[in-house]
Amino acid sequence: MQAKLRDLLITNILAIVLGIAASGLMLLFLGKNPLNAYSVLITSVVRDGYTFADIFVKATPLMFTALAFAFTYKANLYNIGAQGQFYIGAVIAAAGSLLLQNILPGWLVLIITLLLTIVGGGLWGAFVGFVKARYNSNEFLVSMMSTYVALAIMNYSLRTFLMETKAEYPQTDALAASVWLPRIIPGTRLHIGFVLAVLACVGVWILLYKTTLGYRIRAVGYNAGAAEMSGINAKKLYILAFFISGALAGVAGFTEVNGVQHMLVQGFNPDLGAAGIGIAILANGNPIGIIFAAILFGALKVGGTIMGQMSGIPSSIIELMQGFVMVFVILSYFVRTWLENNREKRKLQRAVAK
Amino acid sequence: METAFFELRGISKYFAKVIANKDVSFSIQRGEVLALLGENGAGKSTIMKILYGLYKADEGKLLKDGKEIKIDSPKEAMELGISMIQQHFSLVPAHTVTENIILGNVQGIIDHKLFGEEIKRLAELYGFELNPNDYIRDLAVGVQQKVEILKALYQKTNLLIMDEPTAVLTPQEAENLMGFVRDFTAQGNAVIFITHKLKEVMSVADRIIVMRAGRVYGDIKRAETNELELSKLMIGRDLKWVTKDDRQESLDQEVCLEIQQVTVQEKTGVPALKDISLTLHKGEILGIAGVSGNGQQELCEIVCGAILPTKGRVLLDGEDITERKIRARIDLGIGYVPADRSSDGMIMDMSIAENMLLKSSYDKKWQKRGFIDKQKLNQYTLQEIQEYSIKAPSPETLARGLSGGNQQKVVLAREVDNGEKVIVFDQPTRGLDLGAVNHIHQVILKERAKGKSVLLVSTELAEIFALSDRIAVLYKGEIQGVFNSAELTTEKIGLLMAGFREGEVSNDAG
Repeated sequence: MQAKLRDLLITNILAIVLGIAASGLMLLFLGKNPLNAYSVLITSVVRDGYTFADIFVKATPLMFTALAFAFTYKANLYNIGAQGQFYIGAVIAAAGSLLLQNILPGWLVLIITLLLTIVGGGLWGAFVGFVKARYNSNEFLVSMMSTYVALAIMNYSLRTFLMETKAEYPQTDALAASVWLPRIIPGTRLHIGFVLAVLACVGVWILLYKTTLGYRIRAVGYNAGAAEMSGINAKKLYILAFFISGALAGVAGFTEVNGVQHMLVQGFNPDLGAAGIGIAILANGNPIGIIFAAILFGALKVGGTIMGQMSGIPSSIIELMQGFVMVFVILSYFVRTWLENNREKRKLQRAVAK
Repeated sequence: METAFFELRGISKYFAKVIANKDVSFSIQRGEVLALLGENGAGKSTIMKILYGLYKADEGKLLKDGKEIKIDSPKEAMELGISMIQQHFSLVPAHTVTENIILGNVQGIIDHKLFGEEIKRLAELYGFELNPNDYIRDLAVGVQQKVEILKALYQKTNLLIMDEPTAVLTPQEAENLMGFVRDFTAQGNAVIFITHKLKEVMSVADRIIVMRAGRVYGDIKRAETNELELSKLMIGRDLKWVTKDDRQESLDQEVCLEIQQVTVQEKTGVPALKDISLTLHKGEILGIAGVSGNGQQELCEIVCGAILPTKGRVLLDGEDITERKIRARIDLGIGYVPADRSSDGMIMDMSIAENMLLKSSYDKKWQKRGFIDKQKLNQYTLQEIQEYSIKAPSPETLARGLSGGNQQKVVLAREVDNGEKVIVFDQPTRGLDLGAVNHIHQVILKERAKGKSVLLVSTELAEIFALSDRIAVLYKGEIQGVFNSAELTTEKIGLLMAGFREGEVSNDAG
């Protein structure tokens, strides 16, 4: 067990270092000194509390979309539509907040809006599960396509009933400060949504591994045939799993609108869904692992933005770094299995030799 | 002493967590039938896969005619004249017999007529009745096996390795196969048989290699041994066989389960079950004999509720349960041990404890304040592990990590508890080693003694005869007849299984 933990730490750290080194190589091709660039990066992140806190701000919605993918993944379903469920959540969060902010006290508006995004995102997701269960349609395609429908709904509402009073840009009016998510650390953008995200990760972990519902979802995911044979209604679970998945992604819309943007802007955060899939894969679908993987991605995002501001470095270096780190982390799974197998084999050979 | 045709010297093979083979040495002569006898997981298949180039040995060497050889792939093995017929055939169902046989040995444009004639000649040479233009998907398993053999013969094989060749055959087909083996070796070729059936070994082998836990425990001429000695070598201890004496003679006449004129129509329109009627009494074991694929699985699924009959009724204690779904039937006390545990019976990536929970996850008894009562579940699992002597370090062990026999015991333990009234066993001992088979037979008899009704589907006649009070024979979805087990002989049941009706059988088999 101890050797396993050691492998896990060493291989993961090594993978991140290798990923950064490989992106450094790319910087070298651009004629930039990577050591220089990285040292600027590190000092600016460490020195500046605002920037440091931004890592966690960026990690917050990523945790939700990653959970959304991981949750259905446990039922052997693929929810590629977290981006769309996020947009639906964002539209509902903006509409709910704008509608209620002058009628009800701020804290109550926040709670109601949160619940609305859960229901809205959940229903949007559950539709995918429903057509899968009812018509045996491919959930991969349906969820992917539902993203474009969600995007269109967002664009439509920003051109019509949600459009700002000036009617100039496709965005909403700013939300009243009373319905902003409270900040945890003054002087930074870090809001309570981060805590909510971590709690969601822990909650999903408990749901999956400690309750009979989670047990049944995993049973269906591992072996739907055996689960059906045991009287478990897999179809009902498909719908439920997609509801929960959609709800999780929907909450990302709430934390982004009420916590960061304080308004709804057309087509914002367009890569949350895709990044969430990457993070879920990075964490091997483990909800607790997602916390760390999302923070890593948040750090890469913040770091990439800073590097993009340096002269001559394209901002696409972020994606490059994300890509390299992911490739190496995924490779590290195989390295770990290989190490583990070899260790067992040696142990066996020693035992036989005695 | 003459030089061995093939020789294995000191072969060892390690997988990550198990020693598959350790210091395995034996040889085979031309014209010899060698049986490789051992329980499941004894390393028989592994050592043969090393000889066939599918695995690479960690230690040791291979020799042909006294010269050291290297075999790194099946292709190289074939060039040396070695062919292996796997337990699961490697045929392409959508291709014809000819196409399958020449696969991998032709290039460019295929002259179907030429190859077809060649294969027909080859088949006739060995007395196989086959049409080279038939599609594999239309052929019975016994015939498919002949195609596999022809494939080997076509490649001019001198050493034919067969992994559990009779597992899928009727007694008559198995007899034919043995006949072929004798002919083939009479021409100076060699055959290695992988098996765990003692009877088969005694009828066909010249020499027997007994393997246990990856090592060779015996290298004996058939003439110098007997079944008892072999079984002792194979499992390393004595076995108490279940016999008919263990059975209660008094039969409780109270009816428990009734299947009334049930028909199951497949999507293709072909009925999987045709107008089946069976009654199962309390404290009775009803054996269902038949070659696999003749409606056994459908029959079991009708009882456990996985499929609903197109026509007919199912009654439990006089109550109509035809429309009840699986979950309701579990609650009613119907247990089901499916034939294919890995796809229908258990979840390999979950722990033993989680597998015990599989059918009762809705039951409040496993919950505490909305969470799974892990402590209680683990305790129960531990108890079952001891009661069924399941070899596992803890309830948290993944099912995948267990041997086949121990996996089956997990399913058995669960279903025996679930099936308070009726337990359906579909091939409960298929592919298991003797120790596990014996244990499972004892469990089945014990449940019967408790007054439960048992439906036992098996393709192993020995098992059917050893356990059943009454025997029904299933052929193409129809019941060929229901008999008291004393009325039947192996010959008679073999003919019934091959589709003869009762009247015809008594004329033919007297």
